[in-house]
Amino acid sequence: MSEVDPRECDWCEEVLQPYLDRDLTEADRIKVTAHLTKCKWCDDRYKFEGDFRRLVRQVVIEPMDPALKAKLSELRLEL
Amino acid sequence: MSETSSEEARRLAQGARDRVRFEEDALALADQVYRVARGVSRSKDEAEDLMQETYARAFRSWRSFTPGTNLRAWLLRILTNLNIDRGRRAQRTPDSQPLEEGDYFLYNRLEAASGETEEERVLERLSQDHVAEALAAVPHDFRDVLVLVDIGEFSYADAAQILDIPIGTVMSRLHRGRRILKKELAELAVEAQ
Repeated sequence: MSEVDPRECDWCEEVLQPYLDRDLTEADRIKVTAHLTKCKWCDDRYKFEGDFRRLVRQVVIEPMDPALKAKLSELRLEL
Repeated sequence: MSETSSEEARRLAQGARDRVRFEEDALALADQVYRVARGVSRSKDEAEDLMQETYARAFRSWRSFTPGTNLRAWLLRILTNLNIDRGRRAQRTPDSQPLEEGDYFLYNRLEAASGETEEERVLERLSQDHVAEALAAVPHDFRDVLVLVDIGEFSYADAAQILDIPIGTVMSRLHRGRRILKKELAELAVEAQ
């Protein structure tokens, strides 16, 4: 692996979120991808960030209590 | 029956059908709405209260919903407004927040505390309980956006519509909210080791 300029890593950290959100310009996106290919340090953190987002998405996994669903139905207005 | 009264009867019957359909559509979305309610509440009981208030208000205001528009977003707008009405936003405002750490902060802390250098092993240091606890500690302005975008999987535009804030504010709150979440999580996860 070639030597990486630490300033590039700082820049990569700054733009990692928009990169994951696909909210970067095409030129910057290519630059980040190239950086991640040669920098394991940033690539580990990039992979972690993707996994971390999945973990957050799964955090509210408890299903709604069926009793609550019944209570919501009872709130319907009388015909 | 006169022509006018039969027309009136038809109109009333149609109104009743529309309302029943609205209620059924709203109830069919309850699981998805609950996910957001649970995310913005500190406890299951609080989330359940918020759900009941939201649905009671939605059923009363059904006429203000425009058929064909996004019912899930409409329901969540009621929910987030009720959440604001509960006065929770007065706790901490974005301006008074300390500066959060950078995006690599959580990984760096976990890696340093565990001595693990492989990404998968670092991730294993985090539990869902830690994430839930850290999320509850994120100030509401940021948490609402985080929950809608990162848990509810709403677009920035939908989140902006639901919260009635500009899209740029959604993006900046999301950016800061994710960093605050990671900072809270780093403290919890490292403490637990």
